[in-house]
Amino acid sequence: MIGSVLRIWPIATNTLREAIRNKLLYALLFFGVLVIGASVLIASLSYVEGERIIQDIGLAAMQLFSVGIAIFVGIGLIHGEVERRTVYTILSKSITRSEFLLGKYLGLLLTVWLQLVLMAVAFAGVSAAAGASLSVTHVVAVLGIAMELAVVVAVATLFSTFTTPMLAAFFALGVYCIGHLTRDLNALGGQADDPVVRGLAQGIYRVLPDLDSFNFSLYAVHGWALAPNDVLWPMLYAVGYVLALLFMATYIFRVRDLK
Amino acid sequence: MYGNENKTKAKPRLRRRLDSWASATLLGLGFLAVVLVTGFVHQRIPVAPESEQSGRLVPRPEVAQVLSLGFESVVSDYYWLKAVQIAGGARTPGPEQGDYLARLVDLVTYLNPHVGHAYRFAAVWLIQTEEEVREANRLLRRGIESQPEEWRNWFYLGFNHFYYLDETEEAARNLAVASELPGAPAYLSRLVVRLRAESGGLDVAQALLSEMVRDTQTEEALSGYLEALGEIEVERHARDLDSAREAFVETYGRDIESMDELAAFFDPILNRLPRAQPSRVGIELGGESNWVIDPESNQIVSDYYGRRYRVNFASDRAHRIEEWNRSAGTVSESSSEEGAS
Amino acid sequence: MKRGGQEGAMRELANERIKVEGLVKDFRPGLGLRSRRVLNEVSFSVREGEIYGFVGPNGAGKTTTLKILMGLIRPTAGQATILGHPVSESRFRQEVGFLPENPYFYSFLTAREILDFYARLSGISAADRKPKIAALLRDVGLEHAADARLKTFSKGMLQRVGIAQALIHDPSVVFLDEPMSGLDPIGRKEIRDIILKLRADGRTVFMNTHILTDVEMICDRVAIIVKGHIRYEGPIADLLRGDDMDSDVVLTRLPSDLGIRLQERYGSRVKGMGERIEVRVPDKDVNSLLTASLGAGAEVVSVTRNRHSLEHAFLSAVREGTASYPNEQKEMEKNP
Repeated sequence: MIGSVLRIWPIATNTLREAIRNKLLYALLFFGVLVIGASVLIASLSYVEGERIIQDIGLAAMQLFSVGIAIFVGIGLIHGEVERRTVYTILSKSITRSEFLLGKYLGLLLTVWLQLVLMAVAFAGVSAAAGASLSVTHVVAVLGIAMELAVVVAVATLFSTFTTPMLAAFFALGVYCIGHLTRDLNALGGQADDPVVRGLAQGIYRVLPDLDSFNFSLYAVHGWALAPNDVLWPMLYAVGYVLALLFMATYIFRVRDLK
Repeated sequence: MYGNENKTKAKPRLRRRLDSWASATLLGLGFLAVVLVTGFVHQRIPVAPESEQSGRLVPRPEVAQVLSLGFESVVSDYYWLKAVQIAGGARTPGPEQGDYLARLVDLVTYLNPHVGHAYRFAAVWLIQTEEEVREANRLLRRGIESQPEEWRNWFYLGFNHFYYLDETEEAARNLAVASELPGAPAYLSRLVVRLRAESGGLDVAQALLSEMVRDTQTEEALSGYLEALGEIEVERHARDLDSAREAFVETYGRDIESMDELAAFFDPILNRLPRAQPSRVGIELGGESNWVIDPESNQIVSDYYGRRYRVNFASDRAHRIEEWNRSAGTVSESSSEEGAS
Repeated sequence: MKRGGQEGAMRELANERIKVEGLVKDFRPGLGLRSRRVLNEVSFSVREGEIYGFVGPNGAGKTTTLKILMGLIRPTAGQATILGHPVSESRFRQEVGFLPENPYFYSFLTAREILDFYARLSGISAADRKPKIAALLRDVGLEHAADARLKTFSKGMLQRVGIAQALIHDPSVVFLDEPMSGLDPIGRKEIRDIILKLRADGRTVFMNTHILTDVEMICDRVAIIVKGHIRYEGPIADLLRGDDMDSDVVLTRLPSDLGIRLQERYGSRVKGMGERIEVRVPDKDVNSLLTASLGAGAEVVSVTRNRHSLEHAFLSAVREGTASYPNEQKEMEKNP
């Protein structure tokens, strides 16, 4: 167990280091911070509720750009290692494939969390400068984004284990988009007369990640009250979903040939 | 020099195979457990409590336009689906949902003014209060701005002015524009003439409602219009009964004491009383509705409605909607509330 | 299991570091396409402390075999063990080092960083890592470039990084995939020396190659694989003990009478005139030629086994049943 951690950790930190030396990450981070800053300009277009608009846009930008980083850095995660054959020497050490995969996952998660923190700092700065209120709920909102990222990174990791980065990007983006629509889909489907349609909508809702359950930005921006359970259940859900995805990813990665 | 100590660590083959089976089974069970627990947890997450209430966030159209990053039409479609969902969910949107609906349609048409039905959709649903109808008219005018050749938007605008707001002149003006546009039914121009001459009346209301019935796709709205048409039908009967009552007074020198006297066995004014409920409503188990003399107003009313029909009923709109809802559920239980007159 | 007796056989078994039995691998090139058999009942074994050459033309199945041994791909059938452990396990890999063909590393790291990374993967403590990495960098001659990013490295330098990472955890068995390919003569010599030093340290070396001279120079035993079939397995000396082997002898200051005698005897096999003469003679004649030449006051510049005759030996070893051999022969010649 400790041995596993000792082997996973270097993979994770190395993945983080690779990402930090990757220019794409900075480009996305730059645009993320830019949009957060630009929210001040956009908000000035509106004569009322400027602070709300700043925070709406800021939180949306944080979510969008960190998911962008997660997907576009994450899809090449495993495939790149196999393609560049860096995986050969790594797996020739006494590290199992599962440990390697978990290390890669953790490394990428650390990367996107790190840049989320950076964007959150920018967000807090812009909010403070604009005189918008900041509360614990804002921290929860960022935490929610962090949970969503954990799931999205796991999705990207899963696809990365068996398909090319191009396809993995399509799949991961698809899952992300549908993940934000499943609730509406379920509500819409629930009204359908056809039981097959109803069941299908319900099935999609249960199987695909319900990413909207991690969205607390409305609570933060509008100052609505949050009960501990409102955060706890989604957190458990994220953990469970990530575990399930990593289960599948490690299984696929373990049985496949690394040609 | 190297490696001999490893010999001892190598396990026999059978043991190894058992180990791998055991670990595979354990992993499978673990996976199943994780999936089940996650599913359970997922069910515990409340589906956005605010989504069932009013006050769901509809972004300001200006903000949404910026954020949709060139995908305005897609974002517009998304909110359009939400709007349809709301209207489809409730039989008739409550007052707080009307506001939500208005904002959704506002957003939809702002992001993509080229949508067609959304404008009329708003007109069909935003009818609870005068403010709502005015908001619907504002949206209809937005539609007219982007599609001036679409006669239906003009028609709906005219209908709203006539039917809900009792603004006959404005109604006639809008309907006149509609009648001259391609695709408008031919009777529309005749209707406008009558509207200007009579400033309303059952025939105009009936004609306009019939057109709405033709143009409406949603079942709930349709039943509303059919209901209104039914009321007009009953009102026509009521007006016939009024005439008969006058004839009775002239003949016998006294007012009727009960409705039966109008169709009495000897020397009846009428052969029989007309039906007291719209013809499209079948006879229910509770028996057919009857004509009664309202003790307060002394008017002949059908106990199906409990009051007489007025073309413009913005004032008792809420009451009427309640009636519609009830009649759609149980017809026999007719309201004894009195009508306004 | 036969346990009692047979002490000798047991000792022989214990001596086996790598054992491959009846290995089969089918590849399916794509969905719905017919699978292709790239390994066919491949068996061999490698003993402790030897340099074992796994030789064959490109596409013969060398790398596939090595990848199975490294647990990167799974065999369709058959067994492979290293130090008695099935290759599907991963813990025993502390005892195994691996240099892939044209190794790729994280190019964003420096040589020191990448070695530190592999050292941590191998569970080497922080205190041990620093001196160990410094020593390895010195051994493979990369001290001067220790803190340069790998993206600036030449092929030969990357190969040395590859060897360094394969040795970082002090393995007893080392696998090398085409360790000399793409290197200049000096680089090849240096890698050869490193490999010989591995054997001197008591390590077992398994080496994939299609370069016959390397095989001849350093390998103790070889397996020759052609089209997924093992054609020969055994000591390299046996393979080269043929009568039809030639050597090239280069001589200078040869007295002219001896030159004429050589000309008479070997004819067109004598090249050059005057100061420097090169003559190709059968192996059995080498000793008498050298004695005669030295006796006549000539100097011997070099005696090398003729490359073509070496190839000839390989070819005869693999000839049976390979109709399309000429193509593979060309392949071999293209890669000197």
